[in-house]
Amino acid sequence: MDFDDAHISDEELLLAIDGELPDDEAAEVDTHVTACAACRARREEIEGAIAVYQRIHRRNLNVRIPSAAGPRALLQARLAEMPRLYEVPRRPPHRPGLPPLWLQVAAVALIAALATVAAGRWAASHRTRVGRQDAGAFSVPNASLTPGATILASRSEVCSGSNPNNRAVPASLQRKVFEEYGIPGAKAVAYEVDYLITPALGGADDIHNLWPQSYSQTVWNARVKDALEDRLHELVCEGRLDLATAQRDISVNWIAAYKKYFQTDRPLETANP
Amino acid sequence: MSITTAESAIAFAREIAPAERTSHRPPPLELEVVDLFDRLRVRLLRYVLGFGLPVQDAEEIVQEVFLSLFQHLQQGKSRENLTGWIFRVAHNLALKRRTFLSSALNPDGGGLAQEADVYVDPAPNPEDQLASHQTQRRLLAVFGALPEQDRRCLALRAEGLRYREIGQILGISLGAVSLSLSRSLRRLTHAAER
Repeated sequence: MDFDDAHISDEELLLAIDGELPDDEAAEVDTHVTACAACRARREEIEGAIAVYQRIHRRNLNVRIPSAAGPRALLQARLAEMPRLYEVPRRPPHRPGLPPLWLQVAAVALIAALATVAAGRWAASHRTRVGRQDAGAFSVPNASLTPGATILASRSEVCSGSNPNNRAVPASLQRKVFEEYGIPGAKAVAYEVDYLITPALGGADDIHNLWPQSYSQTVWNARVKDALEDRLHELVCEGRLDLATAQRDISVNWIAAYKKYFQTDRPLETANP
Repeated sequence: MSITTAESAIAFAREIAPAERTSHRPPPLELEVVDLFDRLRVRLLRYVLGFGLPVQDAEEIVQEVFLSLFQHLQQGKSRENLTGWIFRVAHNLALKRRTFLSSALNPDGGGLAQEADVYVDPAPNPEDQLASHQTQRRLLAVFGALPEQDRRCLALRAEGLRYREIGQILGISLGAVSLSLSRSLRRLTHAAER
């Protein structure tokens, strides 16, 4: 049904239903619809069509959605592993009026003292900032920069041995990775730009699968991860672990995966000579 | 030993959850993010599945959305309309993933499920089938033939988002949303009437 100028357009009806019209226009539409049977019918038709589509959409897709238990537990675990930048206090409810004078004076004094201490610490730490990143900032990748990416590969393809554990990453791509991680001037000898999901397990040559991993200055370093990659490849190719699980475990948190598949809380001696 | 994905996810969660998590409550920000996950996961999954992505990819996108939300909140960024923010991130990630999978599966872009094919018949009883099957098929055929943006508008509306939020998620004006929806609904009502 097409409406002419004498009636409310579908767009206006939709906006009116959602309360998005300015007050004067909304009142105009309301007056017209109250008096116009055709517009009321059209509005009901529109609302009915949305409801029918919504029912089909929800019912037919709900059957594909798995239980929330596993994904919820996974999210909780990932959140527990997320780096804490700093605590952001929740803003207290607004209360009109200023606090007592003694509290204002005390607050100013405290801020001044904290600023002095912070400035001293910043000055002391600034010179060693790069070194501190080496000491652990990139033991695990930033999930938003490096979520992991895979190619479409079967177990037999992965186990055929055609993909080496770590193909060389082109220097230009390495530079992009360093830039993404905020260390544009990093030296390649300090970091291995590593595949999160190794090509030997179907990992892709994609920037989302690469991150700068410290080579030797952390406990959980690139050599430890290499040992995990070998272990997972072995389990997959022996048919003791499915490929998707191996890819997921190493991409979600490779340190946790190491602990899981080596049944240990710290790297084995052989992985850290 | 064969380890399934679901089992390993739960086992993984147990293993990396340190002992103190059982004796200390998680910080409020984590609780807030998990609470939002509980409330929005199904809606988000439905929306992301609508891009023709496999369930596993859709689930991973939802995880990524909430990890990004955690970072967003941790950095003290805006809390205004978090639902809209969450859907916008999911929309962008789904588009990116679909592009990646399409090129990986088939360079011609034909490897993923088509929009109308993402709907699975939940096998209603025979009477229901008789009554609604034809209408449903017609509606889905019309839906599948709509332009991409119109499908996204409808799907977001079906997930309960307001037109203003839909516009923000898709990066289009409020007028463009209402125009898109009125166009789609006109076609859908014609299909239902036939």
